Amino acid sequence: MRRFLILLQRELAAFFYSPMAYLVLAMVMGLNGVAFRFATALMDGHVQPQSLVSLTFNSFWFRMIFFFLFPLLTMRLFAEERKMGTFETLMTAPIRISEVVLSKYLACLIFYCVLWIPCIGNFILFEMITGSGNAFPAGALVSVAFLLLLLGAFNIALGCLASALSRNQIVAAVAAGTLVMLHFFLGFLAGFAKVSPEVLERVVYFSSMDHINLFSQGLIDSRPVVYYLSATAFLLTLTHQAIEQRRWGI
Amino acid sequence: MIHVQGLTKTYRGRAVVDGISFEAGRGEIVGFLGPNGAGKSTTMRILAGFLLPTSGKAEIAGHDVVEQSLEARRHLGYMPEDVPLYPEMRVEEYLRYRAGIKGVTKALLKGSLDTNMERCGVADVRHKLIGTLSKGYRQRIGLADALIHDPAILILDEPTNGLDPNQIRSVREIIRSLGGNHTILLSTHILAEVEAICERVIILDQGRIKASGEPSKLARRLERGARITVEVRGPAEAMARILGAIDGVKKIAPESLGDDWTRFVMDIQGLADPREEIFRTVTREQWRLRHLSMEAATLEEIFAGLTTAPEEGWN
Repeated sequence: MRRFLILLQRELAAFFYSPMAYLVLAMVMGLNGVAFRFATALMDGHVQPQSLVSLTFNSFWFRMIFFFLFPLLTMRLFAEERKMGTFETLMTAPIRISEVVLSKYLACLIFYCVLWIPCIGNFILFEMITGSGNAFPAGALVSVAFLLLLLGAFNIALGCLASALSRNQIVAAVAAGTLVMLHFFLGFLAGFAKVSPEVLERVVYFSSMDHINLFSQGLIDSRPVVYYLSATAFLLTLTHQAIEQRRWGI
Repeated sequence: MIHVQGLTKTYRGRAVVDGISFEAGRGEIVGFLGPNGAGKSTTMRILAGFLLPTSGKAEIAGHDVVEQSLEARRHLGYMPEDVPLYPEMRVEEYLRYRAGIKGVTKALLKGSLDTNMERCGVADVRHKLIGTLSKGYRQRIGLADALIHDPAILILDEPTNGLDPNQIRSVREIIRSLGGNHTILLSTHILAEVEAICERVIILDQGRIKASGEPSKLARRLERGARITVEVRGPAEAMARILGAIDGVKKIAPESLGDDWTRFVMDIQGLADPREEIFRTVTREQWRLRHLSMEAATLEEIFAGLTTAPEEGWN
C-alpha cells in the first residue's frame, strides 16, 4: 500500500511538473465560465422549460471541454514514459503492472475531479451573488456531478488504453479524442444511420449525450452507472494487457 | 547469484539472444562484451524482468525472472542503457521516490539516501533538477538509483557510455569498489573497460556466447594472433620463400624498404614462437638483420576476429 501511495503521489505531482496541468485548468475554467454565462443569458428575460443546470451541461461549450480534456489529460500517461525510456526503470522496480496502471489512472481521475470544482463553484457563487435561494435545482447539480465522475472514470480509462498502445503522445491524443467523441455522439450518429428503431433504442443506452441530458434533470438512472463502471474495469484490464504484451516484445 | 540456462529471445522469428548459458557467483564482476546488436541489452532486460524470454531459464538470487519476477527484481539493481531519468525531478526527490517504490523502509531511507549519494558523488547536486545536470552526473544518479535498495546483484547496461575520460574513471572506480559485496554484470563494447574492472568476460556476438573466461587468460589464449616483424637485407624473393616456410608462420607480407632492405610482417599460428628459428635462418643464409620484434595481438583485433569470423570452437 505504501508503494502504491508513493506511485500515486509521483503521478499526481507529474501533472504539475509540466505546464500542461495549468493550461488545462485555465482552459476548463474559461470554457466553464462561458458555458455558464450562456446558460444564464438564455434564461435572462425568457421562460425556459429547462433548468440552469440542464442548460449549462447540454451546451456546445460544455462539450468543447469534454473533447479536449480527456486526450490532454491522458496522452502522456504511458506514451511519455515509453518515449523517454523511464518506463524501463519503472517496470524493473519491484512493482506490479496493476499498481502502475492504477496509480496513473487514479492520479488522472483525482486531477479531473479537481478540474470541476470551479464549475460547481459557479452555481454556488451565482446563488450567493443573486441572493435567490432557488436559482437551480440542487439535486440536479448533484446528479450531474455524479455523472461527471462516471464519465471521467470511463473516458480516462479509454485515454489510458490509447496512451498504453503508442509511444507517440500525439497519436495517443488523437486516438483518445476520436474514441471519446464517437462514444459521446453514439446516439446522435445512430440517428443518421438508417437503423431500425429497435437498434437505435439500444444504441442510446451507450450515448453519453443522452446520459447527460437525463442526469442534468436530476434523474439518476442505474443503467449508465453499471455500464460506465463495468466498461472502466474492462478498459483498465485491456491497458494492463497492453503493457504485459510489451514484455513479449514486438 | 545469476544463473542463466539456454536463454533465447526471438523477435519476428529472428533470434536476438540464441540459447546462452552462464553463471555469475557472489561478489563477481562479469563483463558482457560485444558489438552493438549482439544481444547484450536484450539479455540484461530479460534478467531485469523488463522483457520475457522466448525460452530458457534465468534466475536472480535463486528466483526465476518469469515466475517470481517481483522477488527477483527486489534483489536486483538495474541501470538501463542511456540512464532514463525524470528531468523535471530533483536528485534527492527522485532517489527518495525510487527508494520508496523499491520498498526501502522509512527507518532506512535517510541512511540509504546519504550513503548512496555520497558513494556515487551526487551529494553536492542533491537539490538540483536532474534535467540541468551533465551526462556524468546523470549516469551516477542512475547508479545511485540501482544501489538504493542495497541489492545483492547489479546489472549495468553500458555504465560508461558517453562519458568523458575523467567521468569514465570515476564511474569505473565506483563499480570496482562495489565488487566483492555485489555481484555485478555490466555490458560494454570497450575492451579496455573489461580489462580494467572485470574478473570474467563473456564475449557475445549475434546472440551467442563466443568466448568466456578471465580477461588475462583469454588474452593469453588469444596470443595465437601474435605478429612478428623483421627487417632483413637480402634477396627479397628467396627471403620471403624461406622465412614463409618456417614452422608456425601462417602468413608473410613483405614490404620493400629500399636499399635491399625488406620488412616482413608474419602472422603466427597458435602459441608458436619462431623468433629463434627466424634468427638462425637469417644467420645461416648470411642475410643481415636489423629488427626483430613480436607483439601479441591486441584484444581489439581478437575481438574483431571473433565477432566477424564464422564461429570457431572456443569454449
